[in-house]
Amino acid sequence: MGTFISFTGRFHPLLVHLPIGILLMALLLQWLSYSQKFKALQPAVPVTLLIGALAALFSCITGYLLSLSGEYDKATLNVHMWMGIGVAVLAGLLYVLTIRGRRLLVNVTGALLLLFISVAGHYGGSLTHGSDYLSFSFDEEEGSKSVRKPIADIPNAIVYTDIIQPVFQEKCYSCHGATKQKGNLRMDVAGLLMKGGKTGPAIVAGNATESELMRRLLLEPEEKKHMPPKEKPQLTEQEIALLHWWINNGASLDKKVKETTPDAKISPILAALQGGSVEEADITATPVVAAATKDVQALRAAGATVMPISQGSNYLEVSFVASTQISDTIAKLFIPLKQQIVSLKLSNTGMSDAVMPAIAQCKALLRLHLDHTRITDKALPQMTGLTNLRHLNLVGTEVTADGVRALKVLPALKAVYLFQTKVDRNGWAALQQAFPHTSLDSGGYIVKTLPGDTTKFTKPAK
Amino acid sequence: MTQQELHNQRLLKEAEEHVMRLQTRRHFLKESAMGLGGLAIGALLGGCGNGAAPAVPSVAFDPAHPMLPKLPPFAGKAKSVIYLHMAGAPSQLELFDYKPELQKLDGQDCPQSLLEGKRFAFIRGVPKMLGPQAKFEQRGQSGAWVSDLLPHLSGVVDEVSFLKAVTTDQFNHGPAQLLVHTGSARLGRPSLGSWVTYGLGSENENLPGFVVLTSGGKNPDAGKSVWGSGFLPSVYQGVQCRSEGAPVLFLDDPKGMSRDLRKASIDAINKVNQQSYKEFNDPEILSRISQYEMAYRMQIAVPEVMDIRGEPDYIHEMYGTKPGQASFANNVLLARKLVEKGVRFVQLFDWGWDTHGTGADLAIDIGLVNKCRETDKAVTALLLDLKQRGLLDETLVVWGGEFGRTPMMENRDGKQNPFLGRDHHTDAFTIWMAGGGIKKGHVHGETDEIGYSAISGKVDVFDVQATILNQLGFDHEKFTYPFQGRPFRLTDVKGKVIKDIIA
Repeated sequence: MGTFISFTGRFHPLLVHLPIGILLMALLLQWLSYSQKFKALQPAVPVTLLIGALAALFSCITGYLLSLSGEYDKATLNVHMWMGIGVAVLAGLLYVLTIRGRRLLVNVTGALLLLFISVAGHYGGSLTHGSDYLSFSFDEEEGSKSVRKPIADIPNAIVYTDIIQPVFQEKCYSCHGATKQKGNLRMDVAGLLMKGGKTGPAIVAGNATESELMRRLLLEPEEKKHMPPKEKPQLTEQEIALLHWWINNGASLDKKVKETTPDAKISPILAALQGGSVEEADITATPVVAAATKDVQALRAAGATVMPISQGSNYLEVSFVASTQISDTIAKLFIPLKQQIVSLKLSNTGMSDAVMPAIAQCKALLRLHLDHTRITDKALPQMTGLTNLRHLNLVGTEVTADGVRALKVLPALKAVYLFQTKVDRNGWAALQQAFPHTSLDSGGYIVKTLPGDTTKFTKPAK
Repeated sequence: MTQQELHNQRLLKEAEEHVMRLQTRRHFLKESAMGLGGLAIGALLGGCGNGAAPAVPSVAFDPAHPMLPKLPPFAGKAKSVIYLHMAGAPSQLELFDYKPELQKLDGQDCPQSLLEGKRFAFIRGVPKMLGPQAKFEQRGQSGAWVSDLLPHLSGVVDEVSFLKAVTTDQFNHGPAQLLVHTGSARLGRPSLGSWVTYGLGSENENLPGFVVLTSGGKNPDAGKSVWGSGFLPSVYQGVQCRSEGAPVLFLDDPKGMSRDLRKASIDAINKVNQQSYKEFNDPEILSRISQYEMAYRMQIAVPEVMDIRGEPDYIHEMYGTKPGQASFANNVLLARKLVEKGVRFVQLFDWGWDTHGTGADLAIDIGLVNKCRETDKAVTALLLDLKQRGLLDETLVVWGGEFGRTPMMENRDGKQNPFLGRDHHTDAFTIWMAGGGIKKGHVHGETDEIGYSAISGKVDVFDVQATILNQLGFDHEKFTYPFQGRPFRLTDVKGKVIKDIIA
């Protein structure tokens, strides 16, 4: 009997759409028939209403059976149920009224029915898809990626609230939260999470292997009991490792990271949480006005490839990779685009220090390739205003260690390439010290020729 | 009137006559009848419920400028790719996947449980297990295991992310290579390089966007389809260049033809093509015109970039290159030069890694050693050279074969092979990536204690493709091209970006 009830109940989400459609159709027919042109529709109204009312009745019955499973939030369910019953009653009433033909009453009841259908429908939707379903997509658009805030102080972070709960919130609460409790499991209240669901406790404190939660997470995605269901966002390997570690440490709700036993596998994951999983956003995350087409065209005419960095972005990449010798006067073409250029490749162009005043104005620059140009030490101090600059390529130029030192004020600088420059090998260590957060690449790597590289190995057959 | 002007005039006249012929009354009637029928059919088919599949490519295709640089949907870490394919499939068990347990089983019969329900290319009956035929050590700060067959690469493991548990479902070379490069074991799909040049264009209008270089004395088993453009416009297929003689066949002008005459004749041909474009509006004609123009520019640019004689001695010493000889090392150096000049995708194939043990050259303890000696220095030099030029962080380097090799010794037709060898194996092999926004000094995935199958971090070739596209700024699920009524993508219905190896 129990299986029959739950089986019939499962038809509710399918059946509900019938009364919605049919009753809306009936109302439409009714109101259309007031106009002379559609008068002929009038006789169809009562029969449509009758079918709609019956469909509503069946939806109520199946809906009630489904509610017996107890997986839904009581308060929302209550509103939904009474609204649904209201729809069925109103539809029946309207049927009687249309036969008797009292227009005012019909209109009032019809409007009421419309209201009830909308409200019942909305609450039904909240029950199945979660109450944030309607608004959720907007949030997603706004924040583009839901990046978890980096945790500033890892050792003092509380494992459950700072590390574990965000995972549950992102991946589990939509089905095991306040509005819906699939399998009678509710995870957003710590007490209920420990209590578990239909199949017993979800978590065995101190023993991850025995915990139902871990077992479900680790099943193959194709398995029916695998969680989250395979069409939903899955937990990453790191997140699973974190859960495993938390449970094995007693699944405590208030322990801090420093109070747990250290674990070689977990430390790098925790370290990643500290830095925030994503690289800190660069300037391209801030929108910029589009460059004037004529300025872009002028630069293209001078032989440059000018491209936005991606679709929908106004930031530009400029490259002279296809040209060889170009004159320094081109540099003035950069100035109108100074807000937009984030990458500038002048490799092998033979440009000299004369271009630097123009480049120094391009404050958005992230990458600058000046390799194999006639740039010298004189140009480098002018670059100190390029506060966004991350990569600077000076390979094959005449710059020296003294010149490069001027760059140490650049806050974002991550890598400087100094192969084949006049930077003195002996002063290298001192120079690197001046740049604690920047990797300076000296180049000049040697791949030794081993005897094996030029000879053939032979061996007799066994 | 010079002879050349006369020639041009004749060509134009011919084209005009051609057009006139098409404009006779009979032709016009025939044309319009067909046209109307075509319209009707188009409308009928258009109504056949393919509304779900938008008939627009996810990247705009401009036939007149097919190679114009295009912008990716999001800003990619990598600007270009060098894919080093070791055709024939190198043995992961001798290079990266260290299995001391397998050594203990050496010479014993393979347990039945490993053979049940499996098919192998050559193994029949019950083969013997074969222990690792190389010495392993943990290398660098990251502690990645690399054998002594790759002494040079061992020194740069801290630049590399290893995928130790890649799987495929094809155990023959041709289909497996197609799967790796086109996402399908059958012919007819565009290759990775074609997708990339189609999506991004080329940064340098004087050079092809997708260049292919082969070594090892043989093209890959799957033939040129591994760099074909499939249903994408044909301008995106890989251009195979030779490292000996003229880099592209017929690149030089014929004897007696001057550069000016060449220019004049290309202009004349293009004029004729322009006219037929006006007549037919077929976008392929515009592609053709642009290709002629590019070919003309390539005549200057290609020999320049494809000539390694101009490289300094320290570079030859580093890569182990010898100008004038066709070799893998030369190809690797060319790949660096091409990427430096803005070529989007350089695909290398090196044949000779198919170590079955049927001959000395194909023995796991002889032939494989020599393949490693031929390639190790150049591959390592490539990584370091890109690094010192500041190019490694925007160039994605991928190294791998089409499948792995069995922990069992191959027993072709049930008999013992004359040399030690391993059969084709689909359940686990190693691919590594470096640069282009990939983590440094990282190992992803693990195989069981004899290296037979993946136990964690299992990925398949679609995941690798998805990751490569991701690094270039594409969502592999949205990067599609409409063909035969549905949008196609490289990874078809599979593929997950391997987030764990992305820096």
